Amino acid sequence: METQNNTETKKPKIAIVSLTSCEGCQFALLDLGERFLEAMGKVEMVDFRLLEDEEDTGEMLDIGFVEGTPITEANKKTLLELRKRSKLLVVIGNCAAMGGIPEIKNYHEQKHTIKHVYKYIQGIENEPIQEVDNFVKVDFTFPGCPITGEEFLNYLPLLLAGEMPNIPDNPVCVECKKKGNTCLLLEKKPCFGPMILGGCDAVCPTARMGCQGCRGLRPTGNVKAMRAALKNFMSDEEFENTTEIYGLRDDIEEWDKKNNTK
Amino acid sequence: MNIKINHIAKIEGHTGFMASVLNGDVKSAKFEVQEGIRLIEGVLVGRHYKDMPVIAQRICGICPVVHNLTSIKAIENAMKVEVSPETIKLRRVMEHAQFIHSHALHLFFLSLADFLDIENDLDLVKEYPEETKKAVKLREYGMEIVKIIGGRVVHPLTNEVGGFKKVPTLEEIQHLISQGEEALPIALQLGVFFQKIKVPDFIRETEYVCLSKKGEYAIYDGDVVSNKGMHVDVNHFEEKFHEFQRPKEIIKRVYADGKTSYMVGAIARVNNQGEKLGWEARQYLKSLGFKMPDFNPFHNVLYQMVEIIHCIEESVQLLKELTHMDLANAVTKPYVVREGAAAAAVEAPRGTLYYWVDIDAKGYIKNVNIITPTAQFLSHLEDDIAKFIPGILDADEKAREKKMRAFIRAYDPCISCAVH
Repeated sequence: METQNNTETKKPKIAIVSLTSCEGCQFALLDLGERFLEAMGKVEMVDFRLLEDEEDTGEMLDIGFVEGTPITEANKKTLLELRKRSKLLVVIGNCAAMGGIPEIKNYHEQKHTIKHVYKYIQGIENEPIQEVDNFVKVDFTFPGCPITGEEFLNYLPLLLAGEMPNIPDNPVCVECKKKGNTCLLLEKKPCFGPMILGGCDAVCPTARMGCQGCRGLRPTGNVKAMRAALKNFMSDEEFENTTEIYGLRDDIEEWDKKNNTK
Repeated sequence: MNIKINHIAKIEGHTGFMASVLNGDVKSAKFEVQEGIRLIEGVLVGRHYKDMPVIAQRICGICPVVHNLTSIKAIENAMKVEVSPETIKLRRVMEHAQFIHSHALHLFFLSLADFLDIENDLDLVKEYPEETKKAVKLREYGMEIVKIIGGRVVHPLTNEVGGFKKVPTLEEIQHLISQGEEALPIALQLGVFFQKIKVPDFIRETEYVCLSKKGEYAIYDGDVVSNKGMHVDVNHFEEKFHEFQRPKEIIKRVYADGKTSYMVGAIARVNNQGEKLGWEARQYLKSLGFKMPDFNPFHNVLYQMVEIIHCIEESVQLLKELTHMDLANAVTKPYVVREGAAAAAVEAPRGTLYYWVDIDAKGYIKNVNIITPTAQFLSHLEDDIAKFIPGILDADEKAREKKMRAFIRAYDPCISCAVH
């Protein structure tokens, strides 16, 4: 947006950029309605293609937000350029943070997955999926599929002040209990809540959907204990399959390696 | 001469557009899609059917409800799972809610500025604060329904094969009814505002395709019909509509009878089944004064307004019916996992959404096909623009580009859906 008067020019500059994704994280922001518009009144939005037609002028940014998976060369170029011009690069959502749904192909048929979809595969970019932090330094991550709008609003002022928020190392269970939910594990229904980073308001278990780990392992999450708790009603194969949905499987494998389990 | 738009903002997903014109004739008009491939169908093959609604809805962040519901319906058809009338009613309410919030976003925040000569929405919001509040209010009603019944707006949680993991309380349903009753007059007021917008005159006769069901404005269920007399069962959809991939292209194109482009979405539905709209929606439609059949694609935006009014009326009615039913019947009952293959379709905000799935005896997916509305209308949009361009060649480059962007946005394309 153009800014004419002096008070407005002091506003921090931000951009919200999306790579390949469903854009659901941007909608999780838009869906905050007037609260989102209010928050955006305190910044200068340099680029937000979902709402703006004006050409991006390419100026320096206080924060560059990025959603989605860098799949194409053009996606990767966009990401590198955003990093270059941003004081802070902040990842929004599971695709950018953990690879998301597209990463499922890495665990199975890899470059052959495409054969189920396209007849002509020559000339189509089909590299293995890599998360954003494989290409650029990431300063902060809003996890989740999609992100939690409330969490974004909570931490935005800190980020705008140039400080790094710290998401508490709590399992999803903390918020789940606060809601008064019956524990799904007690009902013998699979739920990854104990090992996964909270902050999502336990939205899934509250809807009686077991946590599938879209926010990723919490720092002190214990995969071994989680497997033991699930042993009687989820096979190892089912456990592994479920961890693939949100790109959690590679993180679990890393955890196992580090802790010498499995 | 080449006409090139590098990136079309204010649509869902990423695409550019390129046309080449020789001596006033349009030689080609083509989208240049800038998405990566996520291979949703590919990653579903070999997975358990229970993962499918969870994964498939992530095709689109604006219309996850319809991807979720269509995959659930296809699986239920394949495994012959019956669901309760309460389940169907709750799902229909969610579908109507999906229309309300998707349409309100598009017609107000994505498309409107094009007809008011404003370049960005934060300016639109400043200039039209009252109308903005109304559009936000309408979106909030739609979103509140999805949140209460589905558990969350973007990527709902409670829907599953066989029914719901959790159902709303009677108090929650009553809360939604009163919110819907407040939303209706707001929609009618916003409708009056939209009557005043000026859209270009442009006509091209075409085939309109949508679902149709006796006695209702078909959104959740029905056969596939067109204004040219076509009528097929959803299970025969792929015999009538053919998907093609051109080398190096990542959006598959869909043609009726393998050759002609056709149109889906609000404009197709209102043309084909406008007489089945709710009372208020029909009055509003009449007040627009368009002669049917209407072949001006810019009117799609106004037909979305018609559908918002209809969906508010209909959702309130459905919610009222639900207060006399036992919602506990919508909670999933045990069912048998069976081998089978079947199709399903719903009307998504942007048009007919088609799924087909083949499941083995253990519940693992052998094959799947998804045909989205934007994949269906993309060639139609290119054909329209090819006819539109000669009429705007006299305008300067900037004005011409603006008109083309407005045209493209009036269609409400979703490139994320189209590629998936």
